[in-house]
Amino acid sequence: MIARIRGMIARLRRRGRHRTRAAALAAGMITLLALSVSGCGSTGLTAPSLQTSLSRTFANLYVLQQAEQGNPKPSAASLDSHASCQKGGTLDIPQDGSGVWLCQITYLVAGPGYPVIAKYNVDVQTDGCYAADGDGPASVNGSPTITGPHYAQLINPLSLIDGCFDTT
Amino acid sequence: MTLAAGPWPTFAERAVPRSRSGVLVVWRLELAKLLGLWRVRALALMCLAGPFVIVAGLNLQSATPGDTAFGQWVHTSGFAIPMVILGFGGQWLLPVGTAVVAGDIFSAEDHFGTWKTILTRSRSRGELFAGKFAAALTFATAGLVLLVITDLLAGLLAGTQPVVGLGGQLVPAGQAIVLVLASWASVLPPVLAFTALAIFTSVVSRNSVIGIGIPVVLTLVFQVVTLIALPAWGQQVLLSTPFQAWHGFWEQPAFVGPFCWGLVTCAAWFGICSAGAWLVFRRRTIGGAA
Repeated sequence: MIARIRGMIARLRRRGRHRTRAAALAAGMITLLALSVSGCGSTGLTAPSLQTSLSRTFANLYVLQQAEQGNPKPSAASLDSHASCQKGGTLDIPQDGSGVWLCQITYLVAGPGYPVIAKYNVDVQTDGCYAADGDGPASVNGSPTITGPHYAQLINPLSLIDGCFDTT
Repeated sequence: MTLAAGPWPTFAERAVPRSRSGVLVVWRLELAKLLGLWRVRALALMCLAGPFVIVAGLNLQSATPGDTAFGQWVHTSGFAIPMVILGFGGQWLLPVGTAVVAGDIFSAEDHFGTWKTILTRSRSRGELFAGKFAAALTFATAGLVLLVITDLLAGLLAGTQPVVGLGGQLVPAGQAIVLVLASWASVLPPVLAFTALAIFTSVVSRNSVIGIGIPVVLTLVFQVVTLIALPAWGQQVLLSTPFQAWHGFWEQPAFVGPFCWGLVTCAAWFGICSAGAWLVFRRRTIGGAA
């Protein structure tokens, strides 16, 4: 009988130890969660974040396009590209979130007096990744291919732009 | 009374203190069982040969999978290929691949009526649970690692030209290898969380069709729900979102916010599912009238 009671006490103790370990594990996980939540931050899916990302990506790809065509290579900063985006559809549509955005990118190729405008239909997904489809002018982003040196047909980097921005 | 009061025969005593070794034994046995399944062999074969078949297929035609990130660059640089595979894989292949094994690992014992056999061995329920769980996680991790290696090899075989990143920047080969590996590593947490989810459904349903089916249907539901413009937190709660976190690595400047949030989401799903599975499994009546 005494042996049995002793066994029971030992078992209870062991279970107690398991509980403490489980509790410690849970506490550890919660701390980790809280730490990472506080470290992550959040900004959302808004026009400014899309504009910043699209204009920067466009500038980089414009430089690439010129290089592939064998033209003199401008620097991305000298283009001073700015995007202006509006959500398509009716006028009262909220200007944030996923869906189709219409964007105009203004950039400089021949000095500050001569801005060029490139248009894009941008399909923004809920995770902040977008596919911008070139909508003119045709010479810049209209054709899916461009002609490189020696008449090589290359992919036009400006025809379809894939990019992402941080929505968290 | 005399029997209970006296010491038990020595064979009833445990010769060695049971510890982690019990889990290890179950884990090894479960892995051996997994390797015998045709499903597992087929998945391993797919991980081994799949990327090379895709590269060969892409070489045969000039069209590109243009509706996914990096899709238009598959003929320009080999580094685009692992990323296109990850783009599709993150939506379907990876969650389904792990669910096919984890959704069956507990319910198979129900199907064959073998719980009574293994629970009467000298391994406790906790050890069995941990061993089986670890085996499923091991399979998921091993499959992913295998796929990363073959993916990268297939990509390197296709060409090591610089690839156009998502910020429009040209990424040279050395950096591209690092980014490919980092991107694939970033889907390990959601794959493991999906494994825990499949184990949960497997334990609760005691049926392999439901155990595998529910996680597969859930991936479908996640895909549909992702299309809806949810508030930011709603998007982050979905277990499909962390699969897309790698996009930020390829931006200029790179961002890790989605990956960071993804870790939280995955930890929560993993914790809840594994705890739920264990609570159900621990209390379950096995054999006799339930």
